[in-house]
Amino acid sequence: MRTDPSDTGGLFVGRRPGTAPVRYRAIPERGSDARQRVDGSFANLLLLAMFGVSILCWGPIPIACLWIGSEIDYLSGSVFLGFIVAFLALFPLLFGALMLLRRLDQAWILVRRAAGHDQRAGAMARVFGITAIVCAVAFAFWFVVIHGPGSQVVPGRATNG
Amino acid sequence: MGLLDYYRQFEGLTEDEVNEQLRVEAAERRAKALARVETLDLSQTTWWELPHPRIVQAITFVARRGLHQYPHTRGTELRDEIAERLGVDAGRVILGNGAAELLAAATRALIEPGQQLLTSWPAYPLYPIMARRAHGQAVPVTGGVDSLLAAANDPAVRVIALASPNDPTGELLSTVALERLLEALPDRVAVLLDESLVEFADAQPADSSLALLEHHPRLFVFRSFSKAWGLAGLRVGYTIGGPGSERLFEELAPDLGVSEVSQAGALEALRSCSEIVDRRASAIWEERPLLEAALRERGFEVTPSQANFVWVAHPQLEGSELATLLARSGILVAEGGALGEHRHVRIAIRDANVSERLLGAIDKSL
Repeated sequence: MRTDPSDTGGLFVGRRPGTAPVRYRAIPERGSDARQRVDGSFANLLLLAMFGVSILCWGPIPIACLWIGSEIDYLSGSVFLGFIVAFLALFPLLFGALMLLRRLDQAWILVRRAAGHDQRAGAMARVFGITAIVCAVAFAFWFVVIHGPGSQVVPGRATNG
Repeated sequence: MGLLDYYRQFEGLTEDEVNEQLRVEAAERRAKALARVETLDLSQTTWWELPHPRIVQAITFVARRGLHQYPHTRGTELRDEIAERLGVDAGRVILGNGAAELLAAATRALIEPGQQLLTSWPAYPLYPIMARRAHGQAVPVTGGVDSLLAAANDPAVRVIALASPNDPTGELLSTVALERLLEALPDRVAVLLDESLVEFADAQPADSSLALLEHHPRLFVFRSFSKAWGLAGLRVGYTIGGPGSERLFEELAPDLGVSEVSQAGALEALRSCSEIVDRRASAIWEERPLLEAALRERGFEVTPSQANFVWVAHPQLEGSELATLLARSGILVAEGGALGEHRHVRIAIRDANVSERLLGAIDKSL
């Protein structure tokens, strides 16, 4: 990270924002090399879990809420009630997932540090962004190629819809 | 350590916690800085304040104009200014790199190997050194003019070096006493009168000794810009002689003159800072008797001073012991041992606040 004023065109005379070293309450007692390697793998698992939870926000949770709404609509005969219940279910599930993602991100930072990395910021924003792009591309592919105009481009698929 | 505790130890402080910690550290630093009392150096006889900005500007101007040439060896402009102020002929003034260099050069010129230099003692420690460097012998004399006259009967004596006011005692050699000395001395003996501290004397006019030059060609007066003028770093001094002093002056003149920046600083000081020097002298005149009286009240032996320092001794303590005690209170004074009298210390005078701190430290230490 460039923090020297000559590197930043003199823009940051002091330390560049967000580049301050981590201040611990006490100097941490690091584990052995083997422990650090295990922590490195553990951090990767946590990152994977973050990707999983993040993907939930872009597909499974909205779909599950729509399914619940449709069931309510079917049982009550009220589309309005179905919408209400779907939205009421969507918000706590979505925000619950985001809160879980935040917890996982904080845990990932600590485990990365325990693995010996100078980890100053979390990966949540990047994970969320990457999964959003992946899901958007996947949805676009499904919508355009598999389900939508794709039925005309690839004859025979229309009957599946 | 439990598993969760192991990972929790890698938690960093939050921004608020870091800021709070920084605030506490800054407050501690500020409190420490405010509580810290700077050491007070009263061991020097040079003026303690920084030179006036006009002097610094004059030096800077000359330095920027170019330092690639040798200075004017005679320092005409500065020499003329000094001569005009003192009311003497410019040919009887010679500039040097400090009064000390001129005194040493005069000693070398006047003394031949084996001959003697008399000086009252204690005195400026340079005098014995300059006699030795001239392959002569320094003879310390105590007891004033009569003792000097008695010692000067020795045919080996060629020079008497005296400081007035004397460093470290602060005693002034009155013009009357000096005239008596000059009139009674054999013709072979020259008197080098070091008046580096004369601006601080109020017992007689500062230039009264110059009146003797006309009738006593063996008298040479040395003055300096180092003490009251506060320009010790420039190394500028001058010698004033009587009729016939030109021959000696040829030997005193520095080979390549005085640095041009030093001349510029001294000249600017003469032209624009004379009032400042007068104010400094007045401040010393005001504070000196008060400090002397306060020290006598505390049982010190105080030599009546006409300089910007007092020469004092405690009845029960050696000078080094007193200096050590004061140093523990953050006040540095000059031990008398290095100046020729181990029972004494030399303490510079500044102002009422400094005197108060000094006396407080003495009361606390003793």
